[in-house]
Amino acid sequence: MAGNFWQSSHYQQWILDKQDLVRERQLDLQILSEEEYQKIGIFFSNFIQILGEQLKLKQQVIATATVYFKRFYARNSLKCIDPLLLSPTCVFLASKVEEFGVISNSRLITTCQTVCMYLFYFIVLCCILHFFVVKNKLNYAYTQEFPYRTNHILECEFYLLENLDCCLIVFQPYRPLLQLVQDIGQHEDQLLALAWRVVNDSLRTDLSLLYPPYQIAIGCLQIACVIMQKDLKSWFAELNVDIDKIQEISRYIINLFELWKSYDEKKDIQGLLNKMPKPKLQPTR
Amino acid sequence: MQKYEKLDKIGEGTYGTVFKAKNRETLEIVALKRVRLDDDDEGVPSSALREICLLKELKHKNIVRLYDVLHSDKKLVLVFEHCDQDLKKYFDSLNGEIDPNVVKSFMYQLLRGLAFCHSHNVLHRDLKPQNLLINKNGELKLADFGLARAFGIPVKCYSAEVVTLWYRPPDVLFGAKLYTTSIDMWSAGCIFAELINYYLCCLELANAGRPLFPGSDVDDQLKRIFKLLGTPTDETWPNMTTLPDFKPMPMYQPNMTLVQVVPKSTIKMRDLLQRLLVCNPSHRISAEQAMSHIYFADINLLPK
Repeated sequence: MAGNFWQSSHYQQWILDKQDLVRERQLDLQILSEEEYQKIGIFFSNFIQILGEQLKLKQQVIATATVYFKRFYARNSLKCIDPLLLSPTCVFLASKVEEFGVISNSRLITTCQTVCMYLFYFIVLCCILHFFVVKNKLNYAYTQEFPYRTNHILECEFYLLENLDCCLIVFQPYRPLLQLVQDIGQHEDQLLALAWRVVNDSLRTDLSLLYPPYQIAIGCLQIACVIMQKDLKSWFAELNVDIDKIQEISRYIINLFELWKSYDEKKDIQGLLNKMPKPKLQPTR
Repeated sequence: MQKYEKLDKIGEGTYGTVFKAKNRETLEIVALKRVRLDDDDEGVPSSALREICLLKELKHKNIVRLYDVLHSDKKLVLVFEHCDQDLKKYFDSLNGEIDPNVVKSFMYQLLRGLAFCHSHNVLHRDLKPQNLLINKNGELKLADFGLARAFGIPVKCYSAEVVTLWYRPPDVLFGAKLYTTSIDMWSAGCIFAELINYYLCCLELANAGRPLFPGSDVDDQLKRIFKLLGTPTDETWPNMTTLPDFKPMPMYQPNMTLVQVVPKSTIKMRDLLQRLLVCNPSHRISAEQAMSHIYFADINLLPK
């Protein structure tokens, strides 16, 4: 359903204010720095992306799952639900809502196990390379087994649904992006492909919580133009948009790129996950 | 759940039981739809999810309101606006008296609700008198979006009761998988005929208050449709033979006219009906267009 954005729950309930976001995260930000918080967010967005790709879901479904994840933690502390459980739950719910059809829960768990195992070896390898961790310090999330089962995901689904206030239809920047690129001209496949990737990257930021998708699409398109050194200034000037907002969006993405440049996930993520606030109760293995 | 006092059972929905209930604080009467979670693997059924997420977006006076979704120990309860009856019960409660203005008003409201859904790219896909709710003020509301899915309408609903074929267009009966808004327009046509006939009930006519095409299976359903409208040809419906479940049907010539089926309907009524009941889906009138049909020129929607 791609109805009217301005009448949607997405616009009316889920375009949040930057200040609110900071306030809601206060509990977590007492333990983590803003940058650390962002890195954890990136890590789990990647987890959702890998899960989705393994399950052969469309990018639209993956993006919706990522937005659910973002919305949940925009209102809750990381302590509330282990993101390692919430990630597959978001994928599960999104695949039903986006009418991909139900993915079987056992298949979902198996995929989580595969992905976790992959992450586990990956991290062990990195640890060995960096000589800084003893094995038993490895966090629960990266023991060889994915610790959750079907019943955890089904229970978590209720909780997620409630926290999303049942707002399940999410508008994404992909469709407006297609229209914008079409408007630029006929042979812009390269530009579209690049801007599409920038939109995917934007899922690793808070943008989907703060700006309407068509603005995000324009911001991503602008970044793509800069990367390709394509001068479309006059075309952008004719768009009837709030340029300041677009600049803000661009800045978010540039900051993400900067962060990526200076950040070695392989090296840092394990420490971050150890530091991350966690629910008191852990599933028994 | 303590918030509501359960009253009578209203019926069985697509995926669970529906109860009438009273909000203990506001005393407001609501309808509670309990979602069964039998299937261990599926979690919240996609039909319920679909209804939840669509109704969360579709706020309109001709669409039933979803007030709340409650979770309590592995149960999901949807809280809906309560309407006194559905169109079927409304018919049953009438003793052959339905004002022609009420027919017009119901039909207009049905089209207005549909136009709103369609403008949001939502298809209802399972319109029938049981899914049209009527409240005390004569307002009609579309309900039960639970069967609405992108591909393939399930043939059985939760209680293993067979979903009625009576309001399905020929393209869907031939297995068309790509649904468009036209699917709802056919159903609207069938319901319109039933409304008109009901109004004639007081004149004690044979067809009064009966579905237009009460088929017993897909084959019978198609035959009933083609007997009235004539079997489509390559000319009237070019892509028909490429539909997944297409099978050649007897070549009926339209031997009955609409007048025989909806006797004493006015010319304007028949004209609208004829534009709704078109076998080729691409030639069916849209909800928006139907609303500006001359039949509605003197529409009066004041509550009765």
